[in-house]
Amino acid sequence: MLSKEIKIQNPSGLHARPASAFTRCAAGFNSSITLSKQGGKPVNAKSMIMVLSQSLVCGTTVTITADGKDETEAIAKLTELIASFTE
Amino acid sequence: MKYQGSPVSRGIAISRVFCFHDEPLRIDERTLEEPLRDLELHRYHSAIATAKQHLEATYENCRICDKEKAMIFQAHIDILDDIQVREEIEDAILLDGRCASWAVATVYDSYAQVLASSDDELVQERAADLKDVSVRIQKILSGNEPVSSLEDIPEDVILLAYDLMPSQTVSLDPRHVKGIITEVGGMTSHTAILARSLGIPAVLGIPDLLKHVKNDTLVILDGIDGIIITNPTDEQLAFYESKQIAFLKERDYEETFMPRKPITKDGLQVDIHLNIGDADSSRYKKFLPYADGVGLFRSEFLYLGRAELPSEEEQYEIYSKVLRNLGDKPVILRTLDIGGDKKTDCIPIPAEGNPFLGLRALRLCFAMPSLFRTQLRAAFRAAVNGNLWLMFPMVNSIEDVRKAKEFCREICDELEADGIPYGKNIKIGVMIETPSMALMAAEVAREVDFASIGTNDLCQYTLAVDRLNPTVRQYYQPYHPALLKLIAYVADCFNTVNKPISICGELGGDSRFIPVLLGLGIHKLSMNTSAVAAAKAVICNTDYRQARILAMKALTKATEDEVRALLNSSAT
Repeated sequence: MLSKEIKIQNPSGLHARPASAFTRCAAGFNSSITLSKQGGKPVNAKSMIMVLSQSLVCGTTVTITADGKDETEAIAKLTELIASFTE
Repeated sequence: MKYQGSPVSRGIAISRVFCFHDEPLRIDERTLEEPLRDLELHRYHSAIATAKQHLEATYENCRICDKEKAMIFQAHIDILDDIQVREEIEDAILLDGRCASWAVATVYDSYAQVLASSDDELVQERAADLKDVSVRIQKILSGNEPVSSLEDIPEDVILLAYDLMPSQTVSLDPRHVKGIITEVGGMTSHTAILARSLGIPAVLGIPDLLKHVKNDTLVILDGIDGIIITNPTDEQLAFYESKQIAFLKERDYEETFMPRKPITKDGLQVDIHLNIGDADSSRYKKFLPYADGVGLFRSEFLYLGRAELPSEEEQYEIYSKVLRNLGDKPVILRTLDIGGDKKTDCIPIPAEGNPFLGLRALRLCFAMPSLFRTQLRAAFRAAVNGNLWLMFPMVNSIEDVRKAKEFCREICDELEADGIPYGKNIKIGVMIETPSMALMAAEVAREVDFASIGTNDLCQYTLAVDRLNPTVRQYYQPYHPALLKLIAYVADCFNTVNKPISICGELGGDSRFIPVLLGLGIHKLSMNTSAVAAAKAVICNTDYRQARILAMKALTKATEDEVRALLNSSAT
């Protein structure tokens, strides 16, 4: 199992298109992947509705946890993706 | 017939009604025996495949020509593809034996509730999209047309529907619709938000209206008072026609003042500032060119509805964003005002007998210094990105002021020592919202750079009335002469030493009362965006010398009723 803290820095946060891109990317991995806000319960990172429900506005720090064979790759890819959001 | 509903979008419409019969689906709550469940699962899978085909085709159709519309359908595709929802529906069918439509309805409903209970309005609005997708799947399962379209409605009608969903309203031509009525919904539903943004009058929440009203019936819709009248009499028509004209005239008249500078007839320039309560600029952006700054940026939204405190970084980003939006114009950031009626999970406050007299706002910050320091650090750092003024709420003594300033000095020293850039010349001010602070205004004015009068709390504390307790509502009198005397004294003290004094409570945006405030010496007002046009209209039509006389007269009155009577006589 692998975890990483990431700060969301794009202005609109994980809403709309970024949330969609994020969950689609997460769904491409075999590992089970969760996302949690500080002090919050982890939610399924492959579910857009659950990701949306977290209201991840710009400036929020989230912990992404992956568990499975491709966990290293999953964390790397998702970190890269979040950093690449500009909208 | 006359019906009462919730007025959610102001205005009057008088027109023929178009009944949009897209009644709610009847959910068939059937339980299936085990051997049939696989087949039901298959039915569900083919229904979502069909739904996806429809959505993708619609998406393709508008992808190039109408990006906004395309985004809605893209979101619906994402919702349809949601893996967690899908698995839960599959479980409901396979394990619980629910028929597909029942499973779809209940699972989507439960997720819609999760989103609807969010504190984030953007997230709340997505609940309507979940419902939309749920209905689409259910319709396919029951063999109905997937979505009834609103594309071909006749011109100039009042639209009457059970409810409207995003995929329907997206194809609505607002020029054809004079008004909207629905059987369900209220102030925060999708239809209400849409109607307000398009400026279409709307009344929601009149159950069973479709059963009583036929297509083409003449209807009056009063979005000011929430009234619907079907087959009106000539008298009713005449009454509402004049109400409509008066409304439009007033609105158009006020709107013409929006771009104007708020200057009285005899040349006194007044500053108009905005009250904002979140970082979402879409709500106030269009007003920025017409305002002189943000007079009250409430920081509570950062703390409400969450289990953990906002970090310094999170606050820094959000403050910076607002400051950048405002450019050179001042932004008065009010530090945390929690306690009293506002509670949040991330700040445990012990139960109190009198929360409004308890550990509230600045007192709470003093009791939890690390929380206060985090906010101050974020604010001082963000100040390099604009024109930040810092204001403390619920200050009740000169000691409080000095203590808060001491915190600021420490934070600045810390940032200096760490070599972190920060705003060096931030103006520091206080809210004046208790009688003691108002009576000490001369001393306060020496300690601070500016102050703002919070009239809601000043009224509550001066008149000893809990402003949230409906049983003592009649004792809450914002025009009470005692309050006027306090405001007059505070204004004098600050004007004497030439330091800014403003009003940021409800009174600041009360266009009826603004002439009195000007006369009392308050020349800086902060208000909600919706009050700006009317406030400017009043200011531009006020003669400052007469406002002085009006204020002097108001100060001689003995009761609130007498003050009101004075306002009424001067208005006519």
